[in-house]
Amino acid sequence: MTAVAQKPMVAETRTEPGGSWAAVWALALFESRRLLTRVPVLLAFALYLGWTVWRGDKAWGDFPALQDADRATQGTPLLVGLAVLLSVNHAALRSHRHGTDAHFAVLVLPPWRRTAAHALSALAAALVTAVCVAVQFGREALRPGAVGHGSVAELLVGPLTVLLFGLLGLLVAGLVRSALVAPLLIVFCLFLFVASTGTGDGGTQWLMPVVGEASTNTLPTDLIGRPAASHALYLTGLALSLGLLALLVTGGRKPVLLAALAGALALTTVGATGQSGGVSPALAKARERASVHPEQVQTCVRRDGSTYCAYPEWEPRVAEWARVVAGVRSLAGGAAHERPVVVRQRVDARYGLSGDAALESLKRPYEVTVGTQWGGNRVPEFSAAVAAVLIAGDEETATSICDGRIVPVMWLAVGWESEPLDALRRVRLNDTITGSDSVLQPTNGLFMTEAQTQVLRDLLDLPRGEATARVKAHWAELTAPGVTAAGAAKLLGLPAPEGEDKCL
Amino acid sequence: MNRQLLVPVHRTLPWGAVGAAGGAGLLLAALTRTGETGERLSLPLLRAAVLAFALGLVFLLDDPARHTTATVPTPRPVRVALRTALVVPAAAAWWTVALLLVPPDVRPPVGDLTLEAGAAFVLAVTAAAAVVRFTEVTRPGLPVAGGLLTTAVLALLLWPERWALFVAVEDKRWAAAHDRWAVLLAAAALAGMLCTREPLRRGAWRPAR
Repeated sequence: MTAVAQKPMVAETRTEPGGSWAAVWALALFESRRLLTRVPVLLAFALYLGWTVWRGDKAWGDFPALQDADRATQGTPLLVGLAVLLSVNHAALRSHRHGTDAHFAVLVLPPWRRTAAHALSALAAALVTAVCVAVQFGREALRPGAVGHGSVAELLVGPLTVLLFGLLGLLVAGLVRSALVAPLLIVFCLFLFVASTGTGDGGTQWLMPVVGEASTNTLPTDLIGRPAASHALYLTGLALSLGLLALLVTGGRKPVLLAALAGALALTTVGATGQSGGVSPALAKARERASVHPEQVQTCVRRDGSTYCAYPEWEPRVAEWARVVAGVRSLAGGAAHERPVVVRQRVDARYGLSGDAALESLKRPYEVTVGTQWGGNRVPEFSAAVAAVLIAGDEETATSICDGRIVPVMWLAVGWESEPLDALRRVRLNDTITGSDSVLQPTNGLFMTEAQTQVLRDLLDLPRGEATARVKAHWAELTAPGVTAAGAAKLLGLPAPEGEDKCL
Repeated sequence: MNRQLLVPVHRTLPWGAVGAAGGAGLLLAALTRTGETGERLSLPLLRAAVLAFALGLVFLLDDPARHTTATVPTPRPVRVALRTALVVPAAAAWWTVALLLVPPDVRPPVGDLTLEAGAAFVLAVTAAAAVVRFTEVTRPGLPVAGGLLTTAVLALLLWPERWALFVAVEDKRWAAAHDRWAVLLAAAALAGMLCTREPLRRGAWRPAR
């Protein structure tokens, strides 16, 4: 008889350092890699980057205002957000689709920790978006002509939107175990974006993840009045709430989770309340003051005898304005050649970013308006305003010039540029260089008749030195009120124009 | 024989997915009754509804048994045609209800919009048929749904203006756009028919599950 003394088998257990959170971390890394290489996500990122790079050079040229550039990073990540919603949802339902849900019961990770790993993968997508946003904004900020201040809260909206959508997809996967729900949800979201552009009022508008503005006006940073910080807080709270709800739905029942959910909901409420405040009386007063009495908030510098008054954020741009004024004055004859002007920066901030308002012409002598945007068409427009004021004496009179003086005005405005015809095309409303057309200015515009355009074109065809000499030689007669286009042509020794010479 | 197939095929159709998508679509169509904003957006809403329903239709050719039915005497084109024939009345009924949900005075031109809807539905089924034809997948629905959605978004964003498809009612390109929709519908239908053939050889490319 033999007795086998055998020790009973005991399952060997050992505690890994970090416990199951290490497994969550490992799963999160795996899921992040998978999420970021899914076709919809890759496509969305490709489209996002392509659009951003393609648009980057067009938006403000070399002179961006950073308080606008931060907001411009918000719209396109929505696309990434939708792709992440679909893919996270898809990934969270993978085990359900393949019928392997039951196998997870033997693994160390309870379902809610798997959900946490999926949530971390959404966070990874948000981080990638954050890098894209940072690069996009950094590129604008590093341009030599950049002015103003960006807002971190506005920059956070893009990544937070991606996170929000990802966690929404995760929550939906927990609630409805069907892969059809995410695509349908995306159709609703797409429709919501289409519907919410251009509509919305006050508080409810801010419940959307990305809030656009009707106006493309550039305001000083402290007058924008967007509740950006509250909105970022609201988005963070909402994303956290969705994520924690997803954990609870998939079986997380820890008091810590419930407490965190309460905290996240509180955060959302605080953000939502904060962003629904509307325009405070102090802000309205500041806007009024900056619009109606800009001299009270501006600082002025003198350059070559002229005075340049700008809102504090725009002081670096004075050199650009001075360059244009110098160019215009260099072509002028008589007293105008030495005449100092006052360049006054103005913006109508009274309606915030909800609407555009045209600026009234100034009545003070030799004072010229310059707007808050620069680069592209804004340069010849400002140039035309300086030229008109040098000849007419003040802006109000200048905008009602209706005779042959338009010829010297436009000669001064575009003659100094290296590509005068290009500048002429850009400054005219319909981008024409023949026939009659309106000339844009920071305030009210001018009107060029067909005959005046013809004389100007003939003048621009002459060599620059020759043309300058002819204009300076007859400066007094050319700038006398009542001169006709034909008279100006005769003074300048150019063929008489044949076209219509009647202004509107 | 085909009549005997009717009931079994009917029972394998993904009525749940089609029903859910249809419900979502009707919800979108019903949003046109929610006041001024809804009325202004009747065209985008109907298009969104069409997209939603098309997302349900991509599940039409899901067939876990496709590899075992490859050898049955009824050829695949007949079975696909049967599935399609069974879902057409449902789609027609759904579309009628969706149109009726839009208030008559803001309803876009019914004939042209039906053309758009038809093209979208045929495209959805064609895409599923193509996936069945060229891959080993038994349930093409989900990947095709993602693809259709991505295509819709990309088309909305990037479709060249010269061949505009998504135009507003008052746009003067409306008629030309609907000629293009008709071409799209015909092309999709043709491609769909070609794709219903049973793949003879298993493709070299097998997607990972």
